[in-house]
Amino acid sequence: MLSQFGIMFLFILTAFAFIGGILLFGKLLRPDRPTEEKLTTYESGEEPVGNAGVQFNPRFYVVALVFVLFDVELVLLFPWATVFGQPTLIAETGGLWGWFALTEAVVFVVILALGLAYAWAKGYLDWEKPQPQLPTVATKVPTTLYEQVNERYKRPTTP
Amino acid sequence: MTFQTYDCLQMLPIILLSLSGIALLFLGFQKSRALLLPATLLFLVIAFVANFLDWGKTYMYFRDMLLVNNLAMIFTGVVLLSTFMVVSLSGSLADDEDAQPAEYYAILLFSLVGAIMMIGFENLIMLFVGVEILSVAMYILTGSDKRNLRSNEAALKYFLMGAFATGILLFGIALLYGATGSFVLSGIGNYAHSATNAGGSMLLFYVGMFMLLIGMLFKVSAAPFHFWTPDVYDGAPSLFTAYMSTVVKTAGFAALLRILSVSFSGVYDFWWVAMAVVTVLTLLIGNITAVYQASFKRMMAYSSISHAGYLLIGLVGLSQASKPAIAFYSLAYSLSTIAAFGVLMLVARNRPLNAAVFGDQTTLARTDEHYDAFNGLARKNPLLGFVMAVSMLSLAGIPLTAGFWGKFMVFSAAADRGAVWLLVVAVLMSAVGIYYYFRVVIAMYFREGQTDTIRVAPFYRIVLIAATVLTLALGLLPNLFQGLI
Amino acid sequence: MSPHLLCILIPLLPLLGFVVNGLGFRKVPTSLVGIVGLAGPVLAFLCVCLLWGNFHAGNDAVIKTTLFDWISVGEMHINFSFQIDQLTMLMLGIVTGIGSLIHLYSIGYMNHDEGYGKFMAFLNLFLFFMLLLVLGSNFVIMFIGWEGVGLCSYLLIGFWNTNTSYNNAARKAFVMNRIGDLGFLLGIFTIMTTFGSVEYTDVFEQVVGMDVNAPVILTITLLLFVGAMGKSAQIPLFTWLPDAMAGPTPVSALIHAATMVTAGIYMVVRANVLFSMAPLTLDIIGGIAIATALLAASIGLLQNDIKKVLAYSTVSQLGYMFLGLGAAAYTAGMFHVITHAFFKALLFLGAGSVIHAMSNEQDIRNMGGLRKSLPITYWTFLVGTIAIAGIPPFAGFFSKDEILAHVYEHSKVLWALGLLGSAMTSFYMFRLLFLTFFGEFRGTDEQKHHLHESPLSMTLPLLVLAVLSVVGGFMNVPEVLGGHSVLAEFMSPLFDQARQANPALFEANALDHGTELMLMSISAGVAIVMAVVAYVMYVRNAAVPAPDSQVRSLPQQVVYGKYYIDDFYDRLIVRPVRGLGDAFYSLGEFVIDAVVGGVAWSVRSSAGVFRRAQSGSIGLYVLLMVLSITLFIALRFFNWKVFN
Repeated sequence: MLSQFGIMFLFILTAFAFIGGILLFGKLLRPDRPTEEKLTTYESGEEPVGNAGVQFNPRFYVVALVFVLFDVELVLLFPWATVFGQPTLIAETGGLWGWFALTEAVVFVVILALGLAYAWAKGYLDWEKPQPQLPTVATKVPTTLYEQVNERYKRPTTP
Repeated sequence: MTFQTYDCLQMLPIILLSLSGIALLFLGFQKSRALLLPATLLFLVIAFVANFLDWGKTYMYFRDMLLVNNLAMIFTGVVLLSTFMVVSLSGSLADDEDAQPAEYYAILLFSLVGAIMMIGFENLIMLFVGVEILSVAMYILTGSDKRNLRSNEAALKYFLMGAFATGILLFGIALLYGATGSFVLSGIGNYAHSATNAGGSMLLFYVGMFMLLIGMLFKVSAAPFHFWTPDVYDGAPSLFTAYMSTVVKTAGFAALLRILSVSFSGVYDFWWVAMAVVTVLTLLIGNITAVYQASFKRMMAYSSISHAGYLLIGLVGLSQASKPAIAFYSLAYSLSTIAAFGVLMLVARNRPLNAAVFGDQTTLARTDEHYDAFNGLARKNPLLGFVMAVSMLSLAGIPLTAGFWGKFMVFSAAADRGAVWLLVVAVLMSAVGIYYYFRVVIAMYFREGQTDTIRVAPFYRIVLIAATVLTLALGLLPNLFQGLI
Repeated sequence: MSPHLLCILIPLLPLLGFVVNGLGFRKVPTSLVGIVGLAGPVLAFLCVCLLWGNFHAGNDAVIKTTLFDWISVGEMHINFSFQIDQLTMLMLGIVTGIGSLIHLYSIGYMNHDEGYGKFMAFLNLFLFFMLLLVLGSNFVIMFIGWEGVGLCSYLLIGFWNTNTSYNNAARKAFVMNRIGDLGFLLGIFTIMTTFGSVEYTDVFEQVVGMDVNAPVILTITLLLFVGAMGKSAQIPLFTWLPDAMAGPTPVSALIHAATMVTAGIYMVVRANVLFSMAPLTLDIIGGIAIATALLAASIGLLQNDIKKVLAYSTVSQLGYMFLGLGAAAYTAGMFHVITHAFFKALLFLGAGSVIHAMSNEQDIRNMGGLRKSLPITYWTFLVGTIAIAGIPPFAGFFSKDEILAHVYEHSKVLWALGLLGSAMTSFYMFRLLFLTFFGEFRGTDEQKHHLHESPLSMTLPLLVLAVLSVVGGFMNVPEVLGGHSVLAEFMSPLFDQARQANPALFEANALDHGTELMLMSISAGVAIVMAVVAYVMYVRNAAVPAPDSQVRSLPQQVVYGKYYIDDFYDRLIVRPVRGLGDAFYSLGEFVIDAVVGGVAWSVRSSAGVFRRAQSGSIGLYVLLMVLSITLFIALRFFNWKVFN
């Protein structure tokens, strides 16, 4: 006699079997004619460059984070408007309800705005370009000499 | 539909802490950092006072979202007190050029909001929100030593493991909702009672309960879900390790206590053995691994695991008595741990590691946190030696310290339930604990070392002394606190 | 002031003195040490006087003061609380009053000593614990005080801790007391399990309804008496007290004569309801008491050290007190505690004065003729001797006589033995007096040159105590001599419950006045006769005890060797235990080390396993977590039996 958890276990087994079965089924059914184009990674139509594991500039994340935050804020405001904008309740409470709901939303928005202001004031939103640093070498040879040497052995530019 | 206007006015600590956190962020724009520490302490004191305004009353806030009663106030008080002490030990942040004290303090205050939610939640959604607020803040603070690779590594590990555990927690909540149709603790409790009596299928309920418990056990670093703890505690700056190992643990156990006693007490027979097994594992792994550590800080990480085990004993012996027992234990543990970390920070700061010997400074902790750092400490710094010795005795559970009564209370809670084998393990492991706690004492008092006199700021000194005096006072007169509950 | 505040102040004041002198040892100037040390007890004594007024104004009703709920375990609540009743008031008066006098005396006696501040601090601490002992309203508080005074006694006996034999004496006192304490502790545990409380009032209320000689009551009372045996130096735990004379003389006077050693009697009187319910225990107490009284008195006959004689006399007098308790004459026992505190403190302080004058000479064979150079000491010592010998109308006569009268009601044999002891007491005390103060001076010339009367701070306490020794007996003059037994009436409410619980015990046939008068005159007569015998031997014939080297007859040798009890203990207990210790030690080298090492090794190796799991790789961590979650759910749900 299976216990209730036995049924659960069977369910899990079935799930795995199902997924495996479908994949196998697809493998058997579909024609297999690979080309180089087909095997490249899909990247929104762009030609993929290099490995996927490259390092991104962390500033992307800050901007993305702020963006997502305000996105979510907007998403919240829609249901807020429909849920709290009930004429009957507003009428029953003599308008108090409406003010209450508005205040709460304002508090919410203000807190987020404060956060944005903070990030802004701290300069987290500025896109600082990295300053390329010229390598300096401690040597007594004047730099003009190097330039002369460079000039002399300059490779002819390829047309 | 009625809504009471007093609702949010009496959830003062949460609101105050949120607002003061924002205020602190903007205070950080000032040139001088001198104001930040006192301002934070002031905010904490205000929150502490506000917390106890409702003493003796029981309120349910926000339509069954949060509950405030005496026990919750006590736990909140313990958490606020711990934070107060941790913050007051953070004076050196102002001198550290890399540090951002304003943000750290703000994050600490925000995380406290999460902790308070975990203490008083009545709705599982609030539990989740609280856990997340606290955890995200912890991820940031763990990685706050940006130049230190170990700190970075710890933060990332903590984040990944924490996200995993959160997933399990959320899964559990979802299953529970599926089974009972309620997020409210008492609703779940009612379902558990009636369904057990009816004898119907409780499959979803049990799996959900296990998932939820596992998620929470992860947060309090109970074995076998503890693997993140040593790496994270070791990597994080000591100040925040002290915070993590006290506040997070207290809040986590308050949450576990709440959910077990309100929702799952009806199915005690179903979960207690599993919890007991977790307890035994936690005790064994925490205590035995701690023996082998060469670093004091890492030992404290394992010690915090072992204390999670002792606290779990209070949960396994779930009864009315375990509520004050766990509150008392949390307080005793927090006091000693913070004092110990306070001394560690002083000692370690005084002994920067030799970069030539230990390699690149950026890849390793910047300070020496090994046992050897304590050699001969008590000779030149009797006060620090005494503070450390008392905290170690209290953590080891030696009589006349608060830790003894904490252990006594949780043990007697379990003894009432007849879990004798559990107690045998616990007592044996306490004996093992004495070994590694006394190593520090021996190093301080009996080893030779070239320690100089360490300069301690007056306020720092006062906090250390206060923690020690409280530890001893609670050890002599446990009823002072017990009577409160 | 409210009685509650007073209750708290009384023990707190000496504690303050201890803190100041103890923490400030070597920092507080010498001139201030004495004032601070003396202020505590004197102020406490004033508080006791005020409290007495309060207590009296409240019609002698019991006052209880709860400071805080100290320990609560399950159903059991142990309060840190004080109880003021007749018994406590008496003890408070003795402890603070005589304590103050002895503190004053110590200022004169000890102020040249290197550890003067430490000494005063310890004395203060002792007073604190002693006050805790008598003030406590439950057995646990009493036990704290009990242990505390034991500790102070240990510290003060070994006060001159550079001398090994003094340290040994201190250790002996401590160990013997520990044996008694264990009994006391077991008694308290039994009380806890039987009555579920340690509060005197709760326990005694419950006792009233029980059967006489119920086994559990017998157990409790016997265990408690073992505790009393240790502290009050009864057979077999008495040998520490003579050795305890190694401490400075004020210590001997305060701790080992007037207060601490009477704690055992206090405890029995405090628990009189329990003891009254166990007549069998009372009989045992009586037997042990008379044996102790006679044994100690006989040893005292031949001792030559002035303090040792007094020490054996103390043991013997303590025996008398227990003899009274054994006959359920609690008032008489307490009465003797009080008078004994007066005259024994006086005698010790007098002996201290003599020793002070003789440059630390304690052997009476080297004294003699001191009455001319030490007149105040002589006269006061004489008063003390008459008082202890039981010659009317001094204090000792009344108290000892009352005990003997009660014993006579109880058993005539015991009475006769008691009388014998009384005769010996009179003899050895007068022997001591005559050898010390009469005859020719037998010391060195240097000592003779040095002889001087002690300063006022030392003689003043002597004078006060001498007056008390003379008039102390009048507080409880029996009816037959035209008195009103004031003390007995005062203490009577203490024994109401006992009378109610076991009326049979108190129904002894009262003596008629003729018998009582006869008993009195017999004991007084015997005392006087023995004094005369001593006079004839030591003054008229000017006999001086033989030096240690001389060969003695066998019975003399046995008595002089203190019945070889110390050697007996040494052979029977100390050496076997030490041998066992050695054996265990050498065994320990091998077996225990192997076990400990083995445990450590297994802990370490398992730590190695656990540590390996802590590799730092997140992938492994998550895998282990998932595995354990799976394992939990699998075991819990599919193989329910594993866990159940």
